[in-house]
Amino acid sequence: MEGSDTYLIRPNHQYKFKPAVVKECIREIVRERLSGMRYDPEEVPELSRSLAECIKDKVKSSGFDKYKLVVQVVIGEQRGQGVKWVQVKAVCLHSQSTDGRR
Amino acid sequence: MLGSHIGGTIMDEYQTEEETAFVVEEVSKIIKESVEAAIGGNAYQHSRVNQWSTSVVEQSLSQLSKLGKPFKYIVTCIIMQKNGAGLQTACTCFWDNSTDGSCTVRWENKSMYCIVSVFGLAI
Repeated sequence: MEGSDTYLIRPNHQYKFKPAVVKECIREIVRERLSGMRYDPEEVPELSRSLAECIKDKVKSSGFDKYKLVVQVVIGEQRGQGVKWVQVKAVCLHSQSTDGRR
Repeated sequence: MLGSHIGGTIMDEYQTEEETAFVVEEVSKIIKESVEAAIGGNAYQHSRVNQWSTSVVEQSLSQLSKLGKPFKYIVTCIIMQKNGAGLQTACTCFWDNSTDGSCTVRWENKSMYCIVSVFGLAI
């Protein structure tokens, strides 16, 4: 009798999505790329696109290459002080044990 | 997948392509209805945006799951007051182009914008 195949239906613990690691990836890139920048409506479309790509590549190479990834970048212009005029909310229908969100 | 025995034949029912695909028009309609229900007819109110955005995503997700399609969904909602400031969103995905999809709906009234994105990832 031939040997059977083994299939992985859940990631091994070391490959599970780790929000803390991903958060740090994001912080690093945002800090590097946006520090000292002003909101420029001409540049912001390309900037947000390239930020998303960078973040996606960095997360992929941080040990999450078996995951499907969706990266969304939102850049808002700050006019005036304090008042929060943008509310961002995300909700997912997914597998609690393996998927993650950051 | 269901199997049923009829007479002497065994028939298998598989979900048709239509039933397992991410249909942008269908998703878009659900989002528009969810946004209208949550904030339609309202003027921007700082104290209510949290509750509004929660309603939008939860209502959207609930209606999406009722479609019974084999997808994991991610719904994001951005509510922004109209005050002249700019907002740019971008997204990139690493997924299966043949099965996964996304849809973004932009809604506005006199006092605010609402941008909702749905990402469907085939299971």
